[in-house]
Amino acid sequence: MSSVSEILNFNFVVIAPTLVLLITALVLLFATITVPMSMKIKKGITFVGVVFTLLTTFLKFGLFLTDGISSYFSEKILLDEFSLIGNTVISFVLLFLFNSYWSASSKLEGKTTEAVILILMSAAGFMLMMDSENFIMLFIGLEIGSISLYALAGLNRGDRLSNEASLKYFLLGSLASCILIYGVALLYVSLSITGVYETSIAISFIGSDNVPLTSLIGMLLIIVGLLFKVAAAPFQAWAPDVYQGSPTGYVGYMASVAKVSSFIVLARLSAVSIRFVIDKFELFFAAVVILSALFGALFATNQTDLKRLIAYSGVIQSGFILSGITSGINGISASVFYLVTYVIQLIGLFYIFSLISGSLGSNFSVENLSGLFKNNKLITIAFSVFMLGVAGLPLTSGFVSKFILITNLWSYEKYTLVVVLMLSTVAGFYFYLRPVWVASIEKSEKELSIISTTLSDKLVLIILSGLTIALGLFPNTLINITRWMVESYL
Amino acid sequence: MNSILISLLAVPLLGALFIFSLPTNRKELFRPISILVTLISLTQSIYILTKDSSKSEFIITSKYSWIQTYGLDLSIGLSGMSALLIFLSSLLVFVSLLSINKEHGDSKGFIGSLLTLHFAINGVFVSGDLITLFIFFEAILIPMYFLMGIWGGDNRRYATIKFILYTVFGSIFIFIGTVYTSVISYSFNGKLAVDFDTLSQISFTSSQSKTLFLLFTFGFLIKVPIFPLHTWLPDAHVEAPTAGSILLAGVLLKVGAYGILRVSIPFFTVGFLEYKNVIALLSVIGIIYGAIVAIAQIDIKKLIAYSSVSHMGYVMLGISAGNFLSLEGAMIQMINHGITSGALFMLVGFIYDRRHTRKINSFGGLKSVMPRFAFFFLFTSFASIGLPGLNGFVGEFMILMGSYNSYKLLTSISAFGVVLAAIYMLWAYQRMFTGPITNEENSELVDLKTREIVSVVPLILLMIFIGVYPSFIEAYVVNDAEVIVNVLKGFK
Repeated sequence: MSSVSEILNFNFVVIAPTLVLLITALVLLFATITVPMSMKIKKGITFVGVVFTLLTTFLKFGLFLTDGISSYFSEKILLDEFSLIGNTVISFVLLFLFNSYWSASSKLEGKTTEAVILILMSAAGFMLMMDSENFIMLFIGLEIGSISLYALAGLNRGDRLSNEASLKYFLLGSLASCILIYGVALLYVSLSITGVYETSIAISFIGSDNVPLTSLIGMLLIIVGLLFKVAAAPFQAWAPDVYQGSPTGYVGYMASVAKVSSFIVLARLSAVSIRFVIDKFELFFAAVVILSALFGALFATNQTDLKRLIAYSGVIQSGFILSGITSGINGISASVFYLVTYVIQLIGLFYIFSLISGSLGSNFSVENLSGLFKNNKLITIAFSVFMLGVAGLPLTSGFVSKFILITNLWSYEKYTLVVVLMLSTVAGFYFYLRPVWVASIEKSEKELSIISTTLSDKLVLIILSGLTIALGLFPNTLINITRWMVESYL
Repeated sequence: MNSILISLLAVPLLGALFIFSLPTNRKELFRPISILVTLISLTQSIYILTKDSSKSEFIITSKYSWIQTYGLDLSIGLSGMSALLIFLSSLLVFVSLLSINKEHGDSKGFIGSLLTLHFAINGVFVSGDLITLFIFFEAILIPMYFLMGIWGGDNRRYATIKFILYTVFGSIFIFIGTVYTSVISYSFNGKLAVDFDTLSQISFTSSQSKTLFLLFTFGFLIKVPIFPLHTWLPDAHVEAPTAGSILLAGVLLKVGAYGILRVSIPFFTVGFLEYKNVIALLSVIGIIYGAIVAIAQIDIKKLIAYSSVSHMGYVMLGISAGNFLSLEGAMIQMINHGITSGALFMLVGFIYDRRHTRKINSFGGLKSVMPRFAFFFLFTSFASIGLPGLNGFVGEFMILMGSYNSYKLLTSISAFGVVLAAIYMLWAYQRMFTGPITNEENSELVDLKTREIVSVVPLILLMIFIGVYPSFIEAYVVNDAEVIVNVLKGFK
């Protein structure tokens, strides 16, 4: 007789990172409401929690090596390459941005830890979302993650822009969640399935030409819901306002985890669930990519607020990543490479913004950067490296990622996409170089307040900018990892 | 050979990093160290020239596996033309470091950027595959961005952004071309390799060849620059600091022509044969247009900038004629124009440091106060015009001789460019140097100092040397020209 846990295939290693995050969040929560504890101890607890999250993702790697792609908890939780990579990236984001969100929280009214609790909760949610084998689990994970993000956006209660950002994000975000769950419902109605793998099995069983329209629409709605989270055009309208209004210390986290988790799920959908019917969505995906590149480039060109600029640049990057995800298995591996390198640059940029502007402020205009070179050379150099990396200058990781992505697109003969994406890159050089100009070249007349950096700040910036250059010169390792990731889906 | 190529890249880069790591207040160290560094790379480039193997066609000497999964390598190699251009760039960086004024010489950012630029330029000329070429092609932009942006003239922001956007726009086409080539290469040998050895074995279909030729050549032609894509050049020259101008005119313009000779013609020959007449026509328009516009300039730096458009027109005419004589002439003209325009910009820099103006009519009668300066300027002008016995004559004569077989009418028209060159250069000389001193401010000017003379004399000596003994540099380009001629023969 096998026990219940064996039948249901319980395995706590699979959800260990999520559990560690939740336990850390709970400990912090109880610590906040019961015993008075100094911020230092809480900071220590959080740091230990984040490090343990990272370690437990490596435990998952070990499990994967013995079990391979496998599902647990009666086919609710999935262990595959996508979830492994996604969990690792999010753990690293939590680790690298630690200083950034912690210093924002210590400046909040009353020095509460609620922001950190929210961040840990949302990270747990997004990890659950990437681990889910089941669309309903996916929805639950997404909601746990997103609701925390809505709250994070509005944490700076005294700031109007912050309130506006939170409300906008909440309204539009919940609409997107509705669309997604409606898609799940349609899929269930037409095929009686809710699973990622079940979908592909069902489709291959009935033949890709006989798939009912209802289920196609269902899949499309699920995809739309996810595209909203990554701010791909035409679902990008919330991004600039939310990025601008939210406290700067949190935006790096908000932007990167939502992008990572949604793209990882999209990649899995494209590699597994809808792989037999993906050509039916080709026109839709092409339209989204083209719109993202054009919208992003057009609006980014005349932004004076850096956070808005990065938001629109994020729209372009979403276009790039989506174009790869929807063109074959090689495209997925190229996209994941792109995603990882972009996330490194993105969190680096927001780390710098929160260092310069103080981590609570909402507006961050380009003029804030003037005289930066005189003020702090390391920050200026790191900032230039990140900006040039996002622009895709050779010798940075941005170039490698664009190169392998575009090569793949070209071999799929998607010439229109190549041209549009490349044009947005040219435009990119215009709006990415302007802040670099202001930061490193333009002389500032006003008195500068010296930006103080701690040793850990310097370390984070050196690691992140070093990675941006190193992945441009020696991309082999990461490319091999992303190739390994998709190998079993070839 | 291989280790010296790597050190050609490593020495300037390490030098730049070393300069950047020095403390800012040790101003007296920056220039001597950088001169030492460039002296090393100059010696290396001369050493390469003394080797017989440097007179060969392009040979890849080493590879580094960049993206293993896709079979992409970064490779470097050398040919006679590259060796000459590396010598030219090392020499120009060396003399511009000697010639720069105290303000620039005391700034570690300036000197570090110059050395970084030196590294990137050397990189372009030794690249043995399309990706390496593209990487270094773009890497040139970073130091140029800072050189022009921080130490440029009043309107530097506009000029810098224009320069960058033009080049990036062009390089996007090169990028797409590289992508397309690698996809084609994949269908031939199962990997995306785009090194020159692999490319020469791929037989492109006629339509592929045409598309790729257009993609690559468009990107390179912006850099040359050819009429009507030249409009960034005058702005960039006027706003760039002297050392930036010297290298921009002396070497960066050659990168475009080099790319066409190295990539566009040998690999995409069908495309070249299809479109060469268009390029020839545009280059002749550029020759005449550049010269006429140069006559009308009131700013001496702009005048030299437009003369560059005209002179590079000859190079493109020689390339598009595509026979042995004209190709050799084009390669020699690339070197010669580098020497003369570099010297001209350096001389203009000297007078700008003294008077802080570049307007021709604010000078006049300078000969009486600055006789040595006047001599050097006149001498360089003669070389630039193409006086027989000096270097400018050799290249233009060979180009005109060679092109006449292919384009009788166009070559005849372009010969007038030589006459126009005499008009704008000598007229500018006349207005600036002869006659009585018209402007009181000029009467107190100091003639060239020893440092300034030392920095211009190597270029003057080279002008004479190449003028009387052109077969010395002809020996280096003969194999490169032969390769192209053989490829072209195969398609006729």
